[in-house]
Amino acid sequence: MNEAKELAVGSHVAGVPYLLDDAAAQAYERGLQQPQRRRPRMNIHTDRAAATRAGFAAPIAAGEQTIAVAMQLVVDTFGERFLHGGGFEVALIKPVFFGDTIAAHARIARAEQGRLELDLWVENQRGAQVLTGTARVRAAQQ
Amino acid sequence: MAKQAAGKDQRVEMRAENLHQGMRLGPLFYVVESQQIGTFAGALHATNPLYQGDSPLAPPTMRLNDYALLIAQHFKGGKGGVHARHRCEFFEPVRAGQAVRVDGTVTGTERKRGKFYFTLEYETRDATDSRLLVRQAITSILINPEGGLV
Repeated sequence: MNEAKELAVGSHVAGVPYLLDDAAAQAYERGLQQPQRRRPRMNIHTDRAAATRAGFAAPIAAGEQTIAVAMQLVVDTFGERFLHGGGFEVALIKPVFFGDTIAAHARIARAEQGRLELDLWVENQRGAQVLTGTARVRAAQQ
Repeated sequence: MAKQAAGKDQRVEMRAENLHQGMRLGPLFYVVESQQIGTFAGALHATNPLYQGDSPLAPPTMRLNDYALLIAQHFKGGKGGVHARHRCEFFEPVRAGQAVRVDGTVTGTERKRGKFYFTLEYETRDATDSRLLVRQAITSILINPEGGLV
């Protein structure tokens, strides 16, 4: 929503911390119900035994919800221009457990050829990065 | 789902042996609903005005999950996967009321340190004129039939 004034290279923005608990996961799931999807009933997101077999200490949140939190920061910062020629590339590097509070961060790394290149990351409440990557946004019209 | 149209489930088991580079998934058709935009944005506590009003835009990752629909249309069973990487290019916003078509292709399969990775690229287009809206790719680690990653 910060369309009026372009951020300078090196600027850092951070999103509001997001509690990813059972309620948040269920709300996110409701947001995906059309068209309806099928998932294994017992999976690493819902079942402790399934999560343990896959090597996790407890059920983990869906990676896409962490990505959604990160991209919300980009949309809130740059508005609709992210959706016209923008993009992102991210790696989910650590699991997010239910009850974790995550916060998205972005730093303007470069401005070139009519685009802003951003470094992106999401941290949990312990300061550990759970997602890292980059995004690009069309520069504001001068 | 086309693979179940005859009443018999013709989908193949979701396992590494059945995932091949070049495999095409889809198409998938649906209409983006205003109500879903509101529900999805609400789940993220997003109050951006882009998601409100008479003709709201879909949040950028609302249809990221279409990979799961493409997979479920072609495969059955399986234990799911662990989302490892994602990339996305936005060409135009997806809007409420828009009919879209989604097509996917398995563009990579790889066994690395005992884990099976696969990449599915998928495109969302306007179903009426084929305008490209979003192109994305998910790389996932397949959970094996025993429930492990290795």
